[in-house]
Amino acid sequence: MKKTVIGLNLIYYVRAAAGAILSFICLFLPYISRDGSRSSMVSTALDLLKAQETSKITFFVYVAVALTTLSFICAVFNFVKTSVKGMKIWQAIQVVNTAFWTFLLFASKTILEKAGLQSGFMNKYLGIGFFLGLIATYFALVYIMKVTQTNRGYIILTILGVIWMFPILWILLTALRAEQGYYVGYFFPHKLTFQNFIDLFSNQSVLPFGRWWLNTLIVAVCSCIINTLIILMTSFTLSRTRFKGRKGFMNVLMIIGMFPGFMSLIAVYNILKGLGLNQSLAALVIVGAAGAAMGYHVSKGFFDTIPKAVDEAAIIDGASRLQIFTHITLPLSKSIIVYTVLGSFLGAWSDYIFPSMLFGDKQSSYTAAVGLYWLTDFRRIDTYYTQFAAGAVVVAVPIVILFVWLQRFYVEGLSGSVKG
Amino acid sequence: MNTEYKDRNLITIFTKGDIFSKLSFIFCGLANIRYGQVIKGSIFLLLEILYIVFMAVKGGNLLHDLSTLGENLQGMAYNESLGIYEMQQGDNSMLILLYGVMAIVITAAFIALWNFSIRSGENARKNKETGHHVNNFIQDVKSLTNENIRFLLLSIPVAGLSIFTVTPLIYMILMAFTNYDSEHQPPGNLFDWVGIENFKTLLATGDRLASTFWPVLGWTLVWGFFATFTCYFGGMILAMIINSKGIKFKKFWRTIFVFTMAIPSFISLRVVATMLGERGIFNVLLQQWGFTSSALPFLSNATWARVSVIVVNFWIGVPVTMLMVSGILMNIPGELYESARIDGAGPFTMFRKITFPYMWFVTTPYLISNLISNFNNFNTIFFLTGGEPHTLTYYKGAGKTDLLVTWLYKLTKDSNDYNLASTIGIIIFVISAVFTLISFSRSNAMKNEEGFQ
Repeated sequence: MKKTVIGLNLIYYVRAAAGAILSFICLFLPYISRDGSRSSMVSTALDLLKAQETSKITFFVYVAVALTTLSFICAVFNFVKTSVKGMKIWQAIQVVNTAFWTFLLFASKTILEKAGLQSGFMNKYLGIGFFLGLIATYFALVYIMKVTQTNRGYIILTILGVIWMFPILWILLTALRAEQGYYVGYFFPHKLTFQNFIDLFSNQSVLPFGRWWLNTLIVAVCSCIINTLIILMTSFTLSRTRFKGRKGFMNVLMIIGMFPGFMSLIAVYNILKGLGLNQSLAALVIVGAAGAAMGYHVSKGFFDTIPKAVDEAAIIDGASRLQIFTHITLPLSKSIIVYTVLGSFLGAWSDYIFPSMLFGDKQSSYTAAVGLYWLTDFRRIDTYYTQFAAGAVVVAVPIVILFVWLQRFYVEGLSGSVKG
Repeated sequence: MNTEYKDRNLITIFTKGDIFSKLSFIFCGLANIRYGQVIKGSIFLLLEILYIVFMAVKGGNLLHDLSTLGENLQGMAYNESLGIYEMQQGDNSMLILLYGVMAIVITAAFIALWNFSIRSGENARKNKETGHHVNNFIQDVKSLTNENIRFLLLSIPVAGLSIFTVTPLIYMILMAFTNYDSEHQPPGNLFDWVGIENFKTLLATGDRLASTFWPVLGWTLVWGFFATFTCYFGGMILAMIINSKGIKFKKFWRTIFVFTMAIPSFISLRVVATMLGERGIFNVLLQQWGFTSSALPFLSNATWARVSVIVVNFWIGVPVTMLMVSGILMNIPGELYESARIDGAGPFTMFRKITFPYMWFVTTPYLISNLISNFNNFNTIFFLTGGEPHTLTYYKGAGKTDLLVTWLYKLTKDSNDYNLASTIGIIIFVISAVFTLISFSRSNAMKNEEGFQ
């Protein structure tokens, strides 16, 4: 074939067409093969038309058959009259077709059992025709995309995206589910409701979730302000000033950081008890702030990149170091401040170990993390699962919004941390 | 202007100083008072007196008790004056140890102050001698915002660290050399120093504890490597796909993956843990879709659980690497790829010869610190499996997916074997330290911190 069309990479056309033709042939190869009974996709579709009772998803089979045929026609048509538009249409058809073949992998059992064609069906009974067809559709799709010079990354991204969003979708749906309980035999709730959220915050509720949420917010806001100040102060001093013992101090911080943090929680607990602060939210903020200095690396790495000449010029103009810090360094470091604030907020928002040890069974001071973990205990999970899901959504939403909104700063901080 | 003299150490100050300098080794601040810094000197002296009073009244006893960790057992004692047996409050070894450590920390702080006051006094003397200006108190306070800003900005962090991090840490390290286990619980019982006994039982072969420790350590290392490298390569490949030419809506794709990272990990991990349960949605759907006829033991079989944990960690960790790598990928000069393409290199060759070596070079320090944090990845294991499935071959409580850190947590929280927990903590520290040293020997980041300034 010596045709050339601008915008198309026709070397791959033959392979794309071969894929489409093969998947068309597969329609007539055995789709189900079990106990000697074999039936192709086409004959299954005909059987389903005649069947008394069918599930709603039966149309997957019809669509797959129809689209595979269409794709085959497109392949032939494009051979006769190749055009960019024709290829694009073929590609669109093939995308939907591939999706439906994939769905069939998950839906076949339900379709066949509902229609009474097979009982106790497992995917291992799917015939060679199906699996060969599945591979052929993907094969065809990849090569059509090569012809139209579309990035094949979309296929991988779509599949990964679905996998990645699956648990998130599940928890959202569970939060909105009207049927209570942990165990349900289906993915999509039969009835949607906001009752779980209302229950969570209502006064009659057994769970003081509103309280927990508020506790978490208070702790997180206080921690995030104090920790940010401490981190910025520490990293500024370590980055912009030189004094004896600076390296030593940094090394000490590093060594302390290598011990698992909660190893010393028992002692911290006793010290707090001595100070009369046990079981209070202030203890969380104080202990968080006390250890905050150890997270100085990222912002120090950033301050290190600000030219020294800026400081020197300011000193000549008579500025004190404190003025340099507040008037020069901080305004130059917006992204790193946002990163630090976000990090401290997130850390306090989702801290579990220390609050759980600190509060024991004093439920009214629980933070959301402790409370939610308490809910997923196997003794409570059946009663509270949907409320747990609602709680998880309520706790996660503010963070997700913050995070997606401030993503840029986070990336800058992360890349900065790699450097040093 | 006040000049600082840096070419001094304590010995030269003593030998070269005058009588006030020498006396200020005993009476802090004397030299300061003599050379015009009366308030500063008085403060030094006052603090010294406070320290001496503290040690005389309380601290000395505390330090002394530290050597025995208490001798009087709680129990019934005969009270002769009343002629009855009564409950006698015994010594609480734990509090003795804690207070002793506090006394040590206070002493260390005092030594630092003593050192500082001597240097400060010497400074004042030198300035006076050479006819320089000696700062008065107000000028000293003012210098806190300028050349001495380190005292202003670092005092709060240092105080916080000393009280809530260093003191507890010393306390816990010392605990590794005692027998503070479930059978020696204060206040009912005393515990005592045992030297390196705990390390011996933990590391010795043949002991039941050791036969828990080594497999847990092995799994910690295996987990660390798998968790780090799966996420590293996964994230790199994902970032390369999203950043490649011809992918539209890059921001949309990135956001989809960032979702898992944005959700606090305790939530996403708890949710996934409930999904992976025997009656969880994964098993329900897999049966409904016809992939399996009976529930799969995602978290209840040792091997399954270990694989599940790594896979779930992949789900959470890939977006982090993806975001991080995105920035670095853009720094690779495009000409490299251009010329490689002209030379006929395919995408795989380009990855192997250009992208990967570059990334490897830039990210090695990150990779090692990531490895260390994965060895200590408490959250993933604790929220996902809680260390389960349990096994009878392990020492109390430890399960097949337990890392050293989660086991440490269980030892403190559930079985109160604090001595073992501390011993494990020290071993974790040693492991982290070894990997950090490797990281330092490979990176110059520490050396060229002034490279940009």
